[in-house]
Amino acid sequence: MALPAVLPGATQARLGVEAELRRRGWETAQAPAAADLLVVCGSPYPEEDRRLDTLLRTMSQPAARVDVTRPEHAAQALDEGFALLRDKAASRSESPLGHEDAAAGKHDAHPAKGTAPAGPAHGPHHEHAGPGHPGQDAPGGHSGHEAHTMSTVAGLPMADRAADRDGLSLDRLNLPLGPVLADWPAGLILRCALQGDIVQEVHVDRVPGPSDGTSFWNEPWSRAARGEPVERGAAARRRCAAHLDSLGRLLSLAGRPDTAARLRRLRDDVLAGAPSVHCGERLQALTKRVERSRTLRWGLAGLGRLSAERARQRGVTGPALEADGDVHDRLLTWSREARRAVRDFDDGRPLSTGRLIGPRGTVEGTVPPSQALLDVLPELLTGTELGCARLIVASLDPDLDEPVAVPATEGAHA
Amino acid sequence: MTEDIVFWVLAVLAVASGVMVFRFDSMARATYALLLSLLCVGGEVLLLGLDYLGVVIVLMMTIEMALMAVFMVMFMMNPAGLMPMSMLHNKKGAAVICTTVFAALATGILLARWPARRGRPPTDPTMSLGMSLMGPQMLTMVTLGMALFATIVSTVVLSTRRGRYDRFGDDLRTRPADDPVPGGGGR
Amino acid sequence: MPDAAPLWATVILPVALVSVAVVTAGFDAVLSAAAVRGRPGSPREVGTWAAAPLREAFRLLAQQPRRTIAADVALGRIGVVLVPVAAVLAGAVLPLGFRPVSDPAVGIVWFNAMEALAWAAVWLTGWGPNSALSLIGGYRFLAQGLAYELPHMFAITTAALGAGSLRVGEVVAAQDGLWFAVWMPVAFLVYLLSAMAMSFWGPFGHPLGRDTAGGAAMELSGVDRLVLLGGRWLLMVVTAAVSVPLFLGGGNGPLLPPWAWTLLKTALVLAALVAGRRLLPTLRMERYTEFAWLVLVPATLLQALVVAVVVLNR
Repeated sequence: MALPAVLPGATQARLGVEAELRRRGWETAQAPAAADLLVVCGSPYPEEDRRLDTLLRTMSQPAARVDVTRPEHAAQALDEGFALLRDKAASRSESPLGHEDAAAGKHDAHPAKGTAPAGPAHGPHHEHAGPGHPGQDAPGGHSGHEAHTMSTVAGLPMADRAADRDGLSLDRLNLPLGPVLADWPAGLILRCALQGDIVQEVHVDRVPGPSDGTSFWNEPWSRAARGEPVERGAAARRRCAAHLDSLGRLLSLAGRPDTAARLRRLRDDVLAGAPSVHCGERLQALTKRVERSRTLRWGLAGLGRLSAERARQRGVTGPALEADGDVHDRLLTWSREARRAVRDFDDGRPLSTGRLIGPRGTVEGTVPPSQALLDVLPELLTGTELGCARLIVASLDPDLDEPVAVPATEGAHA
Repeated sequence: MTEDIVFWVLAVLAVASGVMVFRFDSMARATYALLLSLLCVGGEVLLLGLDYLGVVIVLMMTIEMALMAVFMVMFMMNPAGLMPMSMLHNKKGAAVICTTVFAALATGILLARWPARRGRPPTDPTMSLGMSLMGPQMLTMVTLGMALFATIVSTVVLSTRRGRYDRFGDDLRTRPADDPVPGGGGR
Repeated sequence: MPDAAPLWATVILPVALVSVAVVTAGFDAVLSAAAVRGRPGSPREVGTWAAAPLREAFRLLAQQPRRTIAADVALGRIGVVLVPVAAVLAGAVLPLGFRPVSDPAVGIVWFNAMEALAWAAVWLTGWGPNSALSLIGGYRFLAQGLAYELPHMFAITTAALGAGSLRVGEVVAAQDGLWFAVWMPVAFLVYLLSAMAMSFWGPFGHPLGRDTAGGAAMELSGVDRLVLLGGRWLLMVVTAAVSVPLFLGGGNGPLLPPWAWTLLKTALVLAALVAGRRLLPTLRMERYTEFAWLVLVPATLLQALVVAVVVLNR
């Protein structure tokens, strides 16, 4: 089982890894515990690199890490990862204590340490050690509430008390969601204060991304903005694939894994330049089923309402503004826009440089389109249950490959 | 012989886990020690040949204890009972009362002059249990049921902070209702 | 429980349940793989897909278990082990044809009591590792239990009511000629729903949902994970199999021997559940609870009333 850890700016590498995993029939793990191969997509900054190594140490042995920076390296990297795992398993069966693996290059091969590595380096101390653990705020981070000393037990911060929505004084736990989490926007970290499974407070944070801030999904429009000739067909394909990617994420969280898998396969075919007629038929069949599903509507309606009026105030452009409603409306909008995009696949005319609206909104504006989506997150998430919060995040699907800035360390108070 | 062994094993386990309820400092462990104790009691009732009662004790107590654990932990979000804490109030008093009651009951059982058995066990104890509850005691059961139900409803009504005016507005016309989390009944 | 089972049957029962579970999991894996990778090219490819659960089982056996900090290992372990144990114990009242391994006078209540153990099990599993998301998963199952258990109890009570007995063997005997599923359709459908809810699988998989990175099973690795997920399949097989004696006439049927009918019906129910899971998204409990209490509870009560009137007028 592979656990992909996607860094900002590594969308293409992620797509390559996903396609390669699919070709081999390897499953992706949802959490470090089940995984044995950590696949890092992108090139991490040093601090991030250290955190990923800590995450690797919290995985069950035998475990290995491989880094993929370019989509075409995915197959080779997975082969190497598999070989590493095989070697470690073999060496462990020879000597129960394991031994130093003289691995070359970027591959970390941690010695297998008996049963569970429980050194000071191990342990759910921060956000990378699995999303489930109360995380200490990173140095320079903030704790989103009254600064009084938190007691710690076994090196873990304990929960504090705070009033909940029914006026009871209940424990409040600080928990970072992300950045390594299944079906989660790459690079996003949400520092939540939870009471039970109610999100009481959210502070948006991010993993530092590449300095140029080029987004794979916005690429055709960015290039057009710079005056390069871009075919409409290419842009339409990119838009369609971006929406299919977002839809796959949302449906996977909503518990339709099969539909999500089909949408993702179609996404890769669209990007690979499959004939538009063929794509159109499959997209029609899939999206019709999704749009007609009553049970899906019953599950998603009423979550994360964002009226067009409020979206406009917060500077949201693109599908989230168009949808003018809840999570289900945003899903329908993506679905419709993806179908509309198919018609332009074979359009060879150049993209006009008038209003350049990418998959997440206006591209050439002063602010990247995902910035508004991130800004609107705290108010939409406050007071929701964790499951609903995950769906709301997926229905906005901010793209952190864009050069978005996170607000200064001041939590969004309810 | 086998029955005797099973009886004593269950009895010792029941008492021991009952004691552990007071010794554990984690709420979850205390709750589940209590459950183990009750499950052993259910086993003893099965030994007596009262199948239905024994199995129902297992069924009801498991669900009750699972819920009790929730209520105990609901106010504390720290998983796995990290904070060694005692959920006991009046620890000494409680222990004294428990021991005294247990001793009194045990001596009572041992010293009482039990009459010789006169009847024979019914062929179907479940059936006769049902008949005795729902036959002569029908009125009691019905009254009890209604009283319990009314108590539950009124407790919920009294404890909830939000009424229909909070949900539907002052003129009761707001649709959909203004709920923190929308339910699936479409109300 | 009285009515000691023949020894060979107690040995065979877990083995039989495990093999049925492996086949069911394989079928599910084939459907999932077809969604991920498109049409299979050859029968051999289908075979490799179907073997995926077995491969995963071997992988987990080789994986070293890991510990989390300040975990409650004892309770977590108890929770994990309870899942398959409860499933096998519940399976003790399964008749293969007309004779269960043991046919206690209160078999139906026994079955229900064993599934209640699964409540405790999943919560304990979520509680053990000292991890917030895993605990949330455990809590979700309790909420789910509160939502599904009442309609479920009414449904199986209805079957017992129709037969006038809590003994599984007599419930089967009472369906000679007309299956209960035919004249208690509401109870049967609710039973099928709660079979999935009880094994926290498919649309009721929220306690182990993706949005909590695996929920109650998030921190499990190696053998622990295998036991819990395998136990989940066992629960699923047992609950689906119990629907056959309760609603589908057990071993009653023309031409074939009773055991063959039982197996065939069980296979059909399992296939229906595995395929039907794909039609429903994950049901979140804040939505389902309201539906269960406002719609399913009255519906099952009415169903019980109808059956009671019919029984009284026989």
